[in-house]
Amino acid sequence: MGVNLAPIMVKHIVRLDDFVGRKIAVDANNLLYQFLSLIRTRSTSPLTSPDGAVTSHLTGLLYRTARLISEYHISLVFVFDGKPPRHKAKEIQKRRQLREKATKEWKEALAAGDYAKAFSKAVVMNRLTEPMIQDAKTLLGLLGIPYVQAPSEAEAQAAYMAMRGDVWASSSRDYDSILFGAPRLVRYLTISGREYLPSKGVSRPLKPELVILKEFLSTLGISREQLVDLAILIGTDYNEGVKGIGPKTALKLILKHGRIEDLPENIQKKITGDYDEIRSLFLKPKVTSVYKTTPGPLMENEIYSFLCDEKGFSRARVEKVIQRIKKSAEKPQQLNLGRWVKR
Amino acid sequence: MFRVKISNAKLLRDAITAISTLIDEGTFTVSPEGIKLRAMDPSRVAMVDFTMQKTAFDEYVADEETKICLNLSELLKLLKRAGRDEAVEIQLDENTGQFVITMRGKYVRTFRMPTLEASEDEVPTPKITFNAKVTLTTDGFRQSLEDVALVSDHVRMETDGEKMTMTARGDIMGANIELLKGSDALLSVEAKEPSKSTFPLSYLSEIVKAASATSDIVTLEFSTDMPIRLDFKQTYDGTLVYYLAPRIEVE
Repeated sequence: MGVNLAPIMVKHIVRLDDFVGRKIAVDANNLLYQFLSLIRTRSTSPLTSPDGAVTSHLTGLLYRTARLISEYHISLVFVFDGKPPRHKAKEIQKRRQLREKATKEWKEALAAGDYAKAFSKAVVMNRLTEPMIQDAKTLLGLLGIPYVQAPSEAEAQAAYMAMRGDVWASSSRDYDSILFGAPRLVRYLTISGREYLPSKGVSRPLKPELVILKEFLSTLGISREQLVDLAILIGTDYNEGVKGIGPKTALKLILKHGRIEDLPENIQKKITGDYDEIRSLFLKPKVTSVYKTTPGPLMENEIYSFLCDEKGFSRARVEKVIQRIKKSAEKPQQLNLGRWVKR
Repeated sequence: MFRVKISNAKLLRDAITAISTLIDEGTFTVSPEGIKLRAMDPSRVAMVDFTMQKTAFDEYVADEETKICLNLSELLKLLKRAGRDEAVEIQLDENTGQFVITMRGKYVRTFRMPTLEASEDEVPTPKITFNAKVTLTTDGFRQSLEDVALVSDHVRMETDGEKMTMTARGDIMGANIELLKGSDALLSVEAKEPSKSTFPLSYLSEIVKAASATSDIVTLEFSTDMPIRLDFKQTYDGTLVYYLAPRIEVE
């Protein structure tokens, strides 16, 4: 679920129109999961095509993503996860167990007619299958939205693209991009503006957030390498973290001792796994320099046959979205002074 | 304490009119040196940066820096009542927090208006490297904008250092205006590199229309796909500068 940097994070609450004209690399798997969680029928099942294939994620891509493009002129590049590092096996196992447990509870809740509970479980139980990812890629291709297949972690690839200046920022719900070196991280780049918290059974409003790596590091007074050490102390997708050490304690320790090697013996020996290997997973992740970030043409007829004929989408609704995208491409888009006025 | 007197009421009225094209409420900072205001419009597309030195007034007393926030359209209503040869005196009543405006002509009129809660936010000026600088007559610029507004809601401004062109492309019509070196409207043009940028006429026309009452000469500075800076030369000791964000083509 990413590293928990929230308590020490330095971020700006921003507005979508601050991103007009920007190109942003999106953690695709992360976003598709959100669509799967939130876009459901009243009986809490995901949306499906006539032949039973899940289409919630396609609905999200079409309506929400298309709005970011047509209303805010944000160019997106989707980055898909590749093969996870072997260190992530435990985390993946943990997620699978959570999912299985939630699925079981969802079925029970449904049988009992408790839709509120069923929804809270449904949010957690999603699985993004290979055919679903394929469908998402097909739709992106038809919409002319570029996507990149990461060799390993999507967030690492997105960060790399942002570091090279091919995109302006990386976007994900997790903070890991920052560890991977993304100069800017955009969170909650969604339109819906609400997030459902399954554990609490309520939803909360979401506003886009911008994290600037340089500012974050200089506020904490540490380097990126030290930030990675800090993350290893509190736990990442690749290691458990030291029990009893949260972000604030970890920051104090790193500020005082500089790096893991120089921590007091009793703390150092509580770190599980090979921290130097985990470090290099963040500092020298597996990425590819072969990718394209330029949009392609909008394949209108192919979109109709894929979404409407194959996946059972309403032709009228899809047409409306496509017309909106086409129309928005014709006019230059108004920026605001925000990006030139730094407080 | 803040108290000023200005014999040319029109000067003040035109300045406030120019500011009010972007904002409804304005927070003025008054200091021993003069008055200033810098603010962005609610959608943050444009900014006005205004100063009026104490020498622009016939009398000027301000013993410390104070922020005064006013509803500009209410203020304008009152200032419009001042006749040609009437002097205007303005004072901040520190007991009531009211702004007191006195006009002395054939008879003495005193208006009182409330001051609003001043915003504490200091708006910094945008950081922009400008590559092109063009000086025009305000009237020539205004006329050109009226021309392009016939065909579109945005205009592309472009210069190579030899001439400035303004291009507009509408759904059915187009317009192209060339301001050549040596023409009446173009006073000077220089460019470190060729620059072009597109701006919304809804803002640009309003700004130029409002500011033209205060100024005969305007200096434009811009760079490719960056905000434009419009500096309207004032007849008194002071400045009236606007910044306007561009519209950009998104791939």
